[in-house]
Amino acid sequence: MESSGEADPAGQDQDRRLAASLTARYSDWVLEALDELPGCFLLTDPSLAGHPIVYASRGLATLTGYARREVLGRNARVLQGAATDRAAVAGVREAVRAQRAHQVDILNYRRDGSPHWVLLHLAPVFHAADGRLLHFLAVQVPIAAAARRPPCRAAAAMFAACREEARVDEDFPCASHAGKVFVDMDKRGLGAEEPRVASDSEKEKAMSTANSIFSALNRYSKLTGLVVCGKRCDSVGIQALSSSLNLSLGRIKQSFVLTDPHLPDMPIIYASDAFLSLTGYSREEILGCNCRFLNGPGTSMEVLEEINQHICSEQACTVDQLNYRKDGSSFRDLLHVSPIRDASGKVAFHIWVHLDVGTKHDFNGLTPEVWQLGAVGAVRVAVRGLSASGSLLRPSQ
Amino acid sequence: MVSATKVEGEYSFLSKNSPLDQFEGVKTHLYRFGTEQHGNDNIRSFACADQGGPSLLDTIILSQWDGSAWKGHLDYDVTSCKLKVIEGGRNFVVQLNDKWNSFSLKGYDKFFELFGCLKPNCMKSYEGLLLCVAQGEKDRPEVVPSTSPPKDGLLLIANAYPVEYGHIFLVSSAINQLSCSWDKRMFGLATKIASEVNNAAFRVFFDNGTSVVPDRMFFQACYFANPLPVESASTVTIYDGKARSGIIVSEIVDYPLKALVFTSNNIKALVNVVSEISFSLHDNSTAYSLLISNNGTKVFVFPQVKNLVTGYSLSAWECGGYFVYHTKFDFDKASETEISNKMTSVSLQDGAFEDLKHLCCATVDDLVM
Repeated sequence: MESSGEADPAGQDQDRRLAASLTARYSDWVLEALDELPGCFLLTDPSLAGHPIVYASRGLATLTGYARREVLGRNARVLQGAATDRAAVAGVREAVRAQRAHQVDILNYRRDGSPHWVLLHLAPVFHAADGRLLHFLAVQVPIAAAARRPPCRAAAAMFAACREEARVDEDFPCASHAGKVFVDMDKRGLGAEEPRVASDSEKEKAMSTANSIFSALNRYSKLTGLVVCGKRCDSVGIQALSSSLNLSLGRIKQSFVLTDPHLPDMPIIYASDAFLSLTGYSREEILGCNCRFLNGPGTSMEVLEEINQHICSEQACTVDQLNYRKDGSSFRDLLHVSPIRDASGKVAFHIWVHLDVGTKHDFNGLTPEVWQLGAVGAVRVAVRGLSASGSLLRPSQ
Repeated sequence: MVSATKVEGEYSFLSKNSPLDQFEGVKTHLYRFGTEQHGNDNIRSFACADQGGPSLLDTIILSQWDGSAWKGHLDYDVTSCKLKVIEGGRNFVVQLNDKWNSFSLKGYDKFFELFGCLKPNCMKSYEGLLLCVAQGEKDRPEVVPSTSPPKDGLLLIANAYPVEYGHIFLVSSAINQLSCSWDKRMFGLATKIASEVNNAAFRVFFDNGTSVVPDRMFFQACYFANPLPVESASTVTIYDGKARSGIIVSEIVDYPLKALVFTSNNIKALVNVVSEISFSLHDNSTAYSLLISNNGTKVFVFPQVKNLVTGYSLSAWECGGYFVYHTKFDFDKASETEISNKMTSVSLQDGAFEDLKHLCCATVDDLVM
């Protein structure tokens, strides 16, 4: 462990610069918030020379053996090693160059030189308004060894066929000791690692870690008025709603958004004024984004999954969810999600009607649930008269 | 649907001697009209974009209906039924819906469902009951969340076989009281509901073409997202009573079905006049349908020749230009000619229509406001 606190002007300069990469864009609290998140992840700044790591999570040491200070300022390739697949590295480099998300199973090396397989989930962090690339987020999820393996002898034979390295005569223990075996192997050896493939649950873990990080970044951007998202929120790319639909929707007083399930990542294509007031975001910040920017550490994964399932089966649901405003404060959200069909009979949008349960409301004698469904009904009527292309129904040619 | 034995058993409910109780323990939302009068020059039209949000009554009807649909009380999701506009200039609208049955609205089974669902001690039966609407005592309208329906109100019940989104029956809450074939007070309430909902998509209907149980009166309503063709058709004023009674009587021209429309901002006048006309039509055994539109300021009257063989007459929305087809084959080949022919076949003869026009003008003339 390198000692800290030495008089080292150059080093301190660099530290300041690295810290500024984050604190210039987010409030100081962002570091504390990120520190609280589980998992192993890095934030890197492509605008600084060498594309250095500017933040490393607490989980880094557990997975890699590196202390956080040791990796700050260095390029993330410090985690790679001799046997890291060149093609995988090239894929990562290409994704960075193209500023897009990327997932790959890759062999990394710990501080002590021992190799281990991780699922690397790379995601660009864009400034929501101007699409500027701010950081890259790199989440690492360790890939467990496969649960069941063919008998050891066969495995050894297979292994030998895959790798030229001289491990053939090694008598491999059974699967249950696999992890231990890898650690005990010659640390600097080439290959000797059976390629692993990340399971669905590992991929999900990577996704949810990434989502938590985005939520944290969003929550702490208040001081600089920044909102970030994982893809360029291109509201220009979204087809403008027909004026008659806009007019009808504009009359509806409840807090709601409409999302389009036919566009990638199901973006928001309409947000009511009441929704903007409730959450603190401006329309420009959220059009084109997926609703997940509302989620945060307290948001239940089970509830998100329930919503997903209902969306997939074209059903409505009401859930009680903890969501977060732009300023980071959370609120209990009575959320109703429902598919909305157009004149073709097919689902055109989903409506998400929100209600802050903690705030006192006066709905003229209506219960909150009745108030919410009133918005759903009004949107249904408005959309029912539209053709699949989104314009008023006209005689078919 | 309804089995023969069931109908037989339920027939007793509809007889004069039936001791049908009022609602025992039924609770529903109650919407009370305010006593404040809207100004006569309160013009509401389709194009008025500057309105405040949806009205309270509009919100509660839509919400209750959506909730009912969500809970599975309806037979099918009508918004999943395809719509199209027919070429040809009249813009007839047709829907492909293999679940809706015209006989589910006409005939005993419909009444059975309506009143069968009001049987006491049958919890399942109250599922479709959305709301009760009645006149209130206060200035402003109010909603009472859970209360027993008063006897002088209208019950709004979701139609399990909707023709469009929000399809409801409007029925007197005094179900054990036999109403005559025309209840002016009920008509007044129905028109007032249209006015108070204040949503251009909301239309109220009345059909007097059925021969079934003539002593029960009920209305229907639903939300049509697009204009109904008859609402866009040209009209010719045949009586301008704006100065005296505030009512204008117009004839729909260039439309396959002969029809008249009464326009007024004065609900009371409208209700009086149309009630008189309805009595006359009924006395003459003329089948007819009514369409209340434009937020209760227009009432279309569709007099029809009743086909004595089939008993077939068009429902009010069909008169308006909206048709439902059961099979894809029929839906695909639906044409303006075919639909126009359907309308023409029930349209009054010229002579009879002229008489009706004279009657309408005379009625409005006589109206003392």
